[in-house]
Amino acid sequence: MLLEVRDLHVEFRTRDGVAKAVNGVTYGVDAGETLAVLGESGSGKSVTAQAIMGILDMPPGRIAGGEILFQGQDLLKLKEEERRKIRGAGMAMIFQDALSSLNPVLTVGDQLGEMFTVHRGMSRKDARAKAVELMDRVRIPAAKERVRQYPHQFSGGMRQRIMIAMALALEPALIIADEPTTALDVTVQAQVMDLLAELQREYRIGLILITHDLGVVADVADRIAVMYAGRIVESAPVHDIYKAPAHPYTRGLLESIPRLDQKGQELYAIKGLPPNLLHIPPGCPFHPRCPMARDVCRTDVPPLYEVSPTRGSACHFWRECLDDYDG
Amino acid sequence: MGRYVVRRLLQMIPVFIGATLLIFLMVNVMGDPIAGLCGDRQCDPATAAQLKKEFGLDKPVWQQYLTYMGNVFTGDFGTAFNGQEVTELMSTAFPVTIRLTVVAIVFEVVIGITLGVITGLRRGRPVDTGVLLVTLVVISVPTFVTGLLLQLLLGVKWGWIRPSVSSDAPLDELILPGLVLASVSLAYVVRLTRTSIAENRRSDYVRTAIAKGLPRRRVVTRHLLRNSLIPVITFIGADVGFLMGGAIVTERIFNIHGVGYQLYQGILRQNTQTVVGFVTVLVLVFLVCNLVVDLLYAVLDPRIRYA
Repeated sequence: MLLEVRDLHVEFRTRDGVAKAVNGVTYGVDAGETLAVLGESGSGKSVTAQAIMGILDMPPGRIAGGEILFQGQDLLKLKEEERRKIRGAGMAMIFQDALSSLNPVLTVGDQLGEMFTVHRGMSRKDARAKAVELMDRVRIPAAKERVRQYPHQFSGGMRQRIMIAMALALEPALIIADEPTTALDVTVQAQVMDLLAELQREYRIGLILITHDLGVVADVADRIAVMYAGRIVESAPVHDIYKAPAHPYTRGLLESIPRLDQKGQELYAIKGLPPNLLHIPPGCPFHPRCPMARDVCRTDVPPLYEVSPTRGSACHFWRECLDDYDG
Repeated sequence: MGRYVVRRLLQMIPVFIGATLLIFLMVNVMGDPIAGLCGDRQCDPATAAQLKKEFGLDKPVWQQYLTYMGNVFTGDFGTAFNGQEVTELMSTAFPVTIRLTVVAIVFEVVIGITLGVITGLRRGRPVDTGVLLVTLVVISVPTFVTGLLLQLLLGVKWGWIRPSVSSDAPLDELILPGLVLASVSLAYVVRLTRTSIAENRRSDYVRTAIAKGLPRRRVVTRHLLRNSLIPVITFIGADVGFLMGGAIVTERIFNIHGVGYQLYQGILRQNTQTVVGFVTVLVLVFLVCNLVVDLLYAVLDPRIRYA
């Protein structure tokens, strides 16, 4: 396995107490595989990604336990300088809002070239040539001229391409894309997603795609991990999930996608709000919102039951959930 | 950009005329300039009338102003009543004040920005609280108190420096006066840098820079600092103009014969020509500084383009 996260716990110290953002997340990605991590905001999907990258704000953040194995090496045991060298070269990250994620006062050429001057010790001139090459690679027209421009001179889609180019620069084994298309127009979303998927296949990159957009997931992901209140509640190959979810939360997510054949009907929404991370409910954290909840859900935290060798669900009644589904 | 500069230069004309006219009128209100010439005694009317005629003071004010401005543009700032050319006074005073200002600006840039970056990166820690407290004290205590206190301690009591700067004002003697002159602005630079750094530190592009695997030093200097310094440099740029003219108190304390000193003497002795001449030049310096700051803004932040 390229990356394995095992029983990761991340906490944030706040004025009101300790917020448990990630509570025992376990997932893995193989080379060339795409894992989609799905969940509402506050479910811990981005925090897990930041912990993997090592860009968590510490303090207030704190990794309270677990392992992050990257190419067999526990990242949490490495010194900061060793981790720094892995960032960018071994693993890279694409952020949601490319405009604010790119430095406004440096040209895109400088920002791309920096990867090569810092990590590879290239000269500025060679790095500039590499930057043009990368911009060509992500199909930015007139790369040679535009390499001298600043981020604000690009359109939203082009800026996200630059982010992708930057992540791709040193051909890392792993790329984490944190909602890479959320800030884009719908028409551009598909183009950017297709480009990312294409490059991922070509370079056999392990891709973690963080999203709350189920539409994106179906096309590009191999596996899905659904997160809720800092836990994985369901983990399965993408087709299994779309065929029949094994967790009521996943089911809620699927049912809240607008569908053409239900035009005119009220759109389904999961009742209630995600839990306050300072006070995660006892038992199954989803029980206050769950239509299937019973007494045992209020007391016992469900483990990740094995539904099949490739599939897990953290619901006491996963079997029922699976059988019920008529989607 | 070119058109913007031209427009700004044209805008400077009314500001320049307004400011100089104002100072010209004010100096006229200040009292009879001839009165000061004869010492404590009243001038005898015949001499006074002759002097007035010689200096053109018998003409209406607007005509005096026009004549004066006409002369200024040929490089003639008139003659002080003691017979010294005002330009001559300037040529000795301005180099001294420029040196003093340079010392002050160097303090602001080096100490101010360094402390600002350190405190901005360590917000809430003891260093931060300590520096913040000191800046608050510096800002609240008037310059003449800080100046006199330091002069007394370092100059008189401990004898580390000369309490009074010699007339040619070499750079090493200007270090303490420069620090005093810079003190309040320095404190503001610290606070401005600190806020700016602390704000930008959490920004997305800094997070990107870290995620790219750049060394911390590079993240701070190339990504964080560059953005955070935009407001600071604007402040320092505008401060150059302010320090040039605002050194009156400091120059007085340390007996530096610069612009502030000459202005002070000029006002005290009702030396119209000196006062108007120096202020005219200071107005120009101020205007140019502001223009440079605005242009610098566009250089530092590529998102700003003047058309």
